Order: sequence, then structure tokens, then C-alpha cells
Amino acid sequence: MAGSLALQRADELRKDGRFNEAIEAYRQAASGEEIPPAEICLNLARCAHHLNQGEEACRWLRRLVDAADTFTPWQAGASLLEQVLASHRPSARRSARVAVLGSYTTTQFVGMLRLAALRWGIAVELYEAPYAQYRQEILDPAGGLYAFKPDFVVLTLHAAEAALPDYSRAPAEEVQAELDRWRSLWEVLASRCPARLIVHNFALPVESPMGHLASRLPGSRTAMMHTLNARLGEAAGETVSIVDCERLSALYGKRRWFDDRYWYVSRQAVALDALPMLARHTAAVLAADLGLSRKCLVLDLDNTLWGGVIGEDGLSGIRLGAGPEGEAFVAFQRYILQLKDKGIILAVCSKNNEADAREPFEKHPDMALKLEDIAMFIANWKPKSQNIADIASTLNLGLDALVFVDDNPAEREVIRQMLPEVEVITLPADPTGYVRALAESLLFESASFTEEDAQKTVQYRARAEIARLQGASESLEDFYESLQMRAVIAPFDALHLPRIVQLIGKTNQFNLTTRRHTMQQVQAFMNDDDCVHMYLKLRDRFTDHGLVGLVIARKDGDVLDIDTLLMSCRVIGRTAEHALLAKLCEEARARGCTSLRGTHIPTAKNVMVSDLFANLGFKRADDPAGAAESATHWIYHLQADGPVESRFIDVSSTDEERRHDAA
Amino acid sequence: MTLHERLETVFQAVLGNDELVLTDETTPGDVEGWDSVAHINLMFSLESEFAIQFAGNELAEFANIGELKSYLQQRLGGRSAA
Repeated sequence: MAGSLALQRADELRKDGRFNEAIEAYRQAASGEEIPPAEICLNLARCAHHLNQGEEACRWLRRLVDAADTFTPWQAGASLLEQVLASHRPSARRSARVAVLGSYTTTQFVGMLRLAALRWGIAVELYEAPYAQYRQEILDPAGGLYAFKPDFVVLTLHAAEAALPDYSRAPAEEVQAELDRWRSLWEVLASRCPARLIVHNFALPVESPMGHLASRLPGSRTAMMHTLNARLGEAAGETVSIVDCERLSALYGKRRWFDDRYWYVSRQAVALDALPMLARHTAAVLAADLGLSRKCLVLDLDNTLWGGVIGEDGLSGIRLGAGPEGEAFVAFQRYILQLKDKGIILAVCSKNNEADAREPFEKHPDMALKLEDIAMFIANWKPKSQNIADIASTLNLGLDALVFVDDNPAEREVIRQMLPEVEVITLPADPTGYVRALAESLLFESASFTEEDAQKTVQYRARAEIARLQGASESLEDFYESLQMRAVIAPFDALHLPRIVQLIGKTNQFNLTTRRHTMQQVQAFMNDDDCVHMYLKLRDRFTDHGLVGLVIARKDGDVLDIDTLLMSCRVIGRTAEHALLAKLCEEARARGCTSLRGTHIPTAKNVMVSDLFANLGFKRADDPAGAAESATHWIYHLQADGPVESRFIDVSSTDEERRHDAA
Repeated sequence: MTLHERLETVFQAVLGNDELVLTDETTPGDVEGWDSVAHINLMFSLESEFAIQFAGNELAEFANIGELKSYLQQRLGGRSAA
């Protein structure tokens, strides 16, 4: 195939570093394509980046967003964008500081959100909260979130975060309590910073042990989740934006939206391939909140609103109303009418004699759109670019408020070239696909709905105010209490050895010394009477996190020296380290030690623990001879400092005890 | 494209480094940016590229590129390009 040969040639030029020639070759390979393939957009962006043409790179990355909706090109685009942004500020309609707080791994999502936002003309400055710490971040007035001073906070959640039982005899109360819990969190945020909150609602999992019965039982978790989503939407009102993930997951296909393999391996609650769609929709909502949604839809007529050409086929010859094609055109008109009803201005721009163009609006019985629905009607033989510019200036709108719909690819291309600010919908050849093409452009998201709802807004404001007063008293301590955390802390044993070695091998962030002990070394610790070794299992009212932390220490005279202290990132920010250290204090005393010594060896990844010993009450100590240069040493005097305090976690020493306590 | 080239193309795209060169001996530690999140991104992208699915316990494994390649070769069987 000539196309793939041209592409191969372009790839070779790029790899040889002949970027200008490669750009030419890629453009040739893509010529004739209305939307160039994602791979070509990406490679053109790469070439531009190599040539230090940041704006051109951004332009191709924007096109990439339209060209693909799968993971790999988006991930590649997102990582390229990050590199481009290091040396280039893209031209944008707006800029915004966006904080993403999630209940699952959001690393991929944030990069894609930045890419999608760029497509909408928003230059985004990002803050990604530590893994699964959305609640801590909101409750801690001194945390990273508020220091970032966000304009927007995006809360990405998954269904397991809803504290609803599998079945309840009092579903209404249960849902109300859960709603209050979320509302009070929103209100704490609102009381502490002026950021607009964008919430991902809950995508309901497909598997339900109740089967179809679930939808008949108000007390089933499925039914309660539906109610909760609805109530969250009501509570959001005008003050909070919602990305309807329940609808998105259905639209995408729930079997593919949920991929448990990636949840188990990396706590990824949304399948990677679904993230581009989630990012795109989140960006569209963000754009609507920034007032960037389009305000006016400019419509072609022949083969766009009806089948055929009115000037040739005449009123009785155009296809509208009857037959599959005719019905599709009516459906498209009805959809447009609904857009008009929610406040979108309609204009007509057609190459026709004016009298011909008006005739169907006046006389055809199946026209859903009437002349009074159209704010400005232009039918003449002038270039459309000129007419569209006229429409913008007459209606006193910017060109960037306009969306152009035309079945003719040539007309679309002219407008893209001449009026790049105007959004152009790529209609499919088949009119039955028009509604979807327009809907999936996401160009008409609205942040709010008409004046009639003013009264409702007042009610919601009053309600939100009450919730704010209730919620503002909630503190981080209250949150820790509410988690009802229980831990098992016990010495290493053979049963847990594989998990222990795995944690030692892969924990990077909350790891004070990053010493990668092997299975044999750990077994040696276990056989050494001078060694203290303990693992920590943690559960709370929502989740059993399993074995997520451990400490290894060795008696050195009257000092207990901490060789290894680490925690899985699943449980960071829950005070589990306090529980572990409190227990270590007990062990130290039992062995006749008078102090604990801690070592911190900084790495590129464990920045989060650089203040850990100081926060636990350790004092900086002299570095012993022979210690690594970058390492710092810390001492904790058991007598003078008392035991390390752990207030929020009930600790037991065996699983049996824990199960017994819970029951 | 050979299997090796296809693999390299995916790695270059996902890791955002179009000069990346892989050998059979390359390990995650040798490649800048190949951390645990990038690993998941890579595995998923390979699933798309080669139209296969890794089992849950295979996602976290593979010591080096050679091991990954022989796994892919075995999975692809007759479908493999080279």
C-alpha cells in the first residue's frame, strides 16, 4: 500500500533526525484524511518538539485527542505534552489550576486530563494528591491541596468508596447517611478554598449476587447506589459539577470499563483504555465551568437537516420524515431543537437561493425546526467562511463560540483552514450517525440550566449552607476515628514471608532505608534473637488492606536500631506508622533498650518520609562512622519522650483476636 | 516490523522517549521512567498491540526484555512476525 510505504519513509526520516523532511512526509501520508490517524498526529508532534516548535507540537497533540480514544496514543501524547510544557507555554483560551484527588491510581488519568484540557483550550496546572488520600487532603488544612490553591478540584471515585452495605432493611436512612458523609466533605472543601468541585459519581459494578432481583429490592446495594448517585446529583445543584461516570461506564461498556486485573496489580479502578474517554468528559465539564462551552450551532441545510438538495429535488423530493433516512434527519432536528431549548443559539448557513432554503421550514410537515427557532438565517452563494464570520459579528459572538455542522467534507475543511477558532463537527456519511457525532463532540456541555431553576438554586444554596455548618466541624481526627481502624501487629512468620519479601522488594515511597533484603536475609532476621521484626495488617470499616507495613530492628547495646521501616502506599496517611512505632517502643523496653535509633536514606522516590522521624518525635543524632553520606540518623529516648503515641488504631496481635473484636 | 521493533515502538511511545533502544538484556532498572506505573502502562499497551491478554499474575512479572519477548513469541505462536 502506498500509504503505509509513505509512512515507513516518514518514520525512517524521523529516526534519522531529519525532522523537517519527516514532517513533510507525514503530512503527505495524511493528506486526504479529514482527521489524520493518531499515530501521524503523534509523530508530527514529536518532530515539532524536536525542532523546538512547542506551539506546533501542541497543535498536533490537540488533533491527537480527536483522532483516538484508546490508551496507548493518549498515554504517549500525555507524556510528550509533559515534555513540551517543560519549555513551552501553549497558547490557550484559559488557564486553570486543577487538583486531582482520587480513590484509586490517578497517575495516568491526570496526564490525560491535561491533554484533553489542552484540546478544549485550557492550559492546566496540575496537582495530583497522594494515592487514595482524597479525604485526608480535604480534611487537612495544612496539606498539599490547599497549599496548591486550586481553581478546580476533581474528585475521582470508584464504587467501593460508597459506604453502603450489601443489603439494608432501612435503605433510605442508609443512603441519607452516606449522602451526608459526602456532602459534609464537599462542604469542608468549600469552606476552606474557593475551588469549584468536579465529582466523578459512582460507576456501578456489573456483578451483583442478587441478579435481576436487585433492581426490585430498594435495600440491595445496587438499588441504593442508584439512589445515592441521584441524591448526589441533587445535592450538587449549582455548586458542584458532576461527571456522570455511571452513564459513561455504560456508554463505554461495563465489561470493558472494569478490568479487575489492573485493580489487583495497580489499584486502577477504571480500565486504562477507558481513561481517554473519562479524561475527555472531565475536560468538557471543566470547560463548561470555565464558560468555554460553545454557544451557537451553525447549520448547513441540504443533506444535513434533510436528505437531498431542495433547489433541485423540490419540497416533495427531499427525504424527511418517512423512510429510515427521513426519520434519521427528523431525529437530528429534534436533537438540535433540544439543544436550542437548553439555550444554544441556532443559525443557518446554506448555499442556496434564499426562497428555496426557507420553503421546507415554512411548508414541510415533518420539519421539527421552524424559522422562529433560527436566530440568523443566511442562504446565498457567498463563501461560507464569510457568512459564518457575519453570523458571529451580527450575533455579537466570538468565533470561538461557534460550532459548524455540514455534511460536505470540503466545506468543513475550508472552515477549519479559514476560521480555525470555529469548531467543525466531522459528520459521518450516514445521517443515522449525525446525532451521535454531535453529542460525542461534547461541545455543548452546560454548567447550569436556565433562569427557571433560580428558585431551586436558592433552595440548594440554603441546603448547602446547613450542610456546611454541620460539616465544617469535621476534622482529620474525626475522620481517623470514623474509619474504625483495626490492626494486627505480629512477628514475621513463614505464612506471611512471601508478602513480606514482596513488600521489601517493591516499596519505594514510604520506605526509610530502601534496603532490599532477600528471602534468605529475612529468614536470618527471624532466627536472630536480637532482632525485632513485625508486620502490620490493617483494616477499616470499608476495606481490609491486608499486610501493608513492616519494621525490622536490631538490638545494639541499649539502642534498638531500625533497619527497615516501610508501608505500602495503600495505607499512607492513616497513622499506621504510629501504631507500628508504638509497638516497637514496647518491644524495645521488653528487651532492656532505652532508645530507638532511626535511619533515613533519601532516594528519588522516598521524599514523602523525609520528615517522618521528626514528626514521630525523634531528634536528629550524630551520624555514626561509616554511614552513607546522604543518610540522616535520628534518636528517640524512651524514658524522656515516652512511648510513641497511636490514638486511632486498635491493635491486636493475632487475626483471631481481630475477628473476634470485630464480631 | 519484527517483534522486537514492535516492542520497541510501544516502549518509545509509552515512555515518551523515541530514542530508546532495547536489547534482550534490558531490565526496568536500565530505562529511565520505567517505574511501576509505567510498567502497567506498557503491559496494557502490549495487550493492545499484540491483541493478547496477560493473566493477573503475569502483569507484574518479566525480568528483562528477552523474557518478555519469548513470552510473547510463545503466546503469538504462528501469528508472530519474526
